[in-house]
Amino acid sequence: MTAWWAKSWVLVLGVVAVLAAGQIWLSHLRYELSLANQQVEKERQLALKETSTLRLELANLTRPERLRKLAQEELGMGPPKPMQVMHP
Amino acid sequence: MSDKQQIYIRRRIETVAGLLALGLLLLVVRAVDLQWLQSERLSTLAEKQRYREYEALAPRGSIYDSKGRTLAESVEIPSIAVMADEVPAERIGELASALGLSKKRVQRKLGKRKGFVWLARQVTPSVAERVMALNIPGVRHEKEWRRYHPLGPETGHLLGFVGIDGKGLEGVERAWNSSLTGESGLLQVRRDARGHSLPDGAWLREPVAGKPISLTIDATIQSIAYAALAEGVRSQHAKGGSVVVMRPKDGAILAMASWPGYNPNNFRRHKPGEWRNRAVTDVFEPGSTLKPFSVAAAIASGKWQADSIVYCEKGAMRVADYTIKDDHPEGWLDLTGVIVKSSNIGVAKLALDIGPEPLYEMLKQAGFGERSSTGLGGESPGIVLPLERWGPVETANIAFGQGIAVTPLQLAAAFSVLANGGMYVAPKLFAEQLNSADTTAHRVIPEEVGKQVITMLEYATTEDGTGSKAVPIGYRVAGKTGTAQKPNARGGYSRNKYNAVFAGFAPVENPELAIVVMVDEPQRSIYGGQVAAPVFRHVAESVLPYLGVAAQGDLNAGWQTVEAVETRAFDSESLFGMSMREVRLFAAQRGLRLHVHGSGWVERQKPANTLALAQGDALEVWLND
Repeated sequence: MTAWWAKSWVLVLGVVAVLAAGQIWLSHLRYELSLANQQVEKERQLALKETSTLRLELANLTRPERLRKLAQEELGMGPPKPMQVMHP
Repeated sequence: MSDKQQIYIRRRIETVAGLLALGLLLLVVRAVDLQWLQSERLSTLAEKQRYREYEALAPRGSIYDSKGRTLAESVEIPSIAVMADEVPAERIGELASALGLSKKRVQRKLGKRKGFVWLARQVTPSVAERVMALNIPGVRHEKEWRRYHPLGPETGHLLGFVGIDGKGLEGVERAWNSSLTGESGLLQVRRDARGHSLPDGAWLREPVAGKPISLTIDATIQSIAYAALAEGVRSQHAKGGSVVVMRPKDGAILAMASWPGYNPNNFRRHKPGEWRNRAVTDVFEPGSTLKPFSVAAAIASGKWQADSIVYCEKGAMRVADYTIKDDHPEGWLDLTGVIVKSSNIGVAKLALDIGPEPLYEMLKQAGFGERSSTGLGGESPGIVLPLERWGPVETANIAFGQGIAVTPLQLAAAFSVLANGGMYVAPKLFAEQLNSADTTAHRVIPEEVGKQVITMLEYATTEDGTGSKAVPIGYRVAGKTGTAQKPNARGGYSRNKYNAVFAGFAPVENPELAIVVMVDEPQRSIYGGQVAAPVFRHVAESVLPYLGVAAQGDLNAGWQTVEAVETRAFDSESLFGMSMREVRLFAAQRGLRLHVHGSGWVERQKPANTLALAQGDALEVWLND
């Protein structure tokens, strides 16, 4: 009888220990995931910010007025004469 | 142990027990105080320690053109703030130097204030890094959104600008501020003992990003229109001007530009008066550009036909106590002649004959006297007198565009009616409006009448008409010039201040563009045909090929002969004495943009030395018989 009680107690203690260890491991995992999640979110925000800046830069570089100036001053181009524009 | 000692010991025990009881009582009192009386405050304090709230800023919605090109974009940018009472006085100099400000200025900003103070808003990232590297107590790095308009002055009036607090203050930015503005969110996260955020954060308020807007504007056409207007205004030493480019079929506004422009990215450097979008806020008397509607009303009444003739009184006609005059006295003219020669007396007679009602109805139906559905702030409805105030003088005056005030946008929408063969299609600024069914479209002019008026307007742009300078080589244009005296403060008309206008559409056979050009107070010439028509041509000749509308080879025979004619060697820098044909040939061979004034032989030219001109440069010549 005494041995049975002792075994039961050991089993209960073992289960409690395993559950406690699992809880600690889960808590640690949750913490690590939280950090990783924060990092990914930070990177996403950075990418969004960069996209926005690049979109603006693209709009700035392809400004019709700038392209016109470059075409005229650097490439020696001019407005097409009507007969130079062909459409199928 | 004696009794005395026993009593002493008992007293000591009682004292200690009493003290313990008192201690316990105090503990109970304190427990009640903490757990009950101060529970709420302490719970809040504890939660503040465990939880942290982050404000997630929502960016303002972008604005795109019809082809998805960015017209306005918000980017995150650093700002420097301080907790004023935490900054050590001895480090203010260092802080000021890193910010590029004077020490006095920073001291003035801090003053004797306590708490949060903005020190430098929307600084460059390098400045922010420099400041934060100093590690000065109380200095904070904040994030803000800054609005950029990459096309700058070209879209300045139309888009407006956004204030430092992210609120739209002018133009589209202001009119659609609520839709463009996002709502910042509030995120609550739990922190562990080391201050790291745990993943079970909850949104106290979800951030809502601003909605992007797509306009009907085409950035390329907008740029062309702005550049053409700028050149036209500068060459005439004019006070300002506006251009509106519309697609008549669906009412899409392709460009809306005003001059003088201002840079919305740096709007504080310009006076508030320069911020307004003149194409919708400013009204002007349309002058002769209104005549096609008077003629259309006359034909639609059934009393007049296109080939009817009207006597133009040799240049002067009296209506009540008022004399109407023509710049070019004419006798008998048919209705086409009335339009081509732009006879005030001719249209006045037509209007007086049919009475005020048909013309009034037509003008109202064409959108005059009412704000458009674009929703732009500060838009003027224009001025159309109520019908009961239309006496004979008013009827005659309004028939040739005096005593009525319109905006450039209204005039563009009205000429779109003519381009559409008589159908009114409301102007639209938003791409999504184009996808929904247009319930406002209605017929203003019978189709047959519309076609007749288009033919008349095409004649008005021939060499005999006043609008010949509006026609690009290879295209057919229908349009009308207008030259209107500006009203003065005394209720009359100014003697030397004019508006020069050209309104028209191209190509005639299938109109893709309706363009209105208004130049305010031109100095070198006052006539719409000399001042506004070249701007129209500049826009049309650049935009039509861009839209894929090919020039027709059989038009403008003069052009066809250019390649065939034996080329004359031009080795002189002066064009003096050349004929119009020779000048055109000279300009065509070199790809110059030619502006011709008058007819006959070249008397003056600009620039003086033509040998230095490169392809695409402008050449202006004045001819004299």
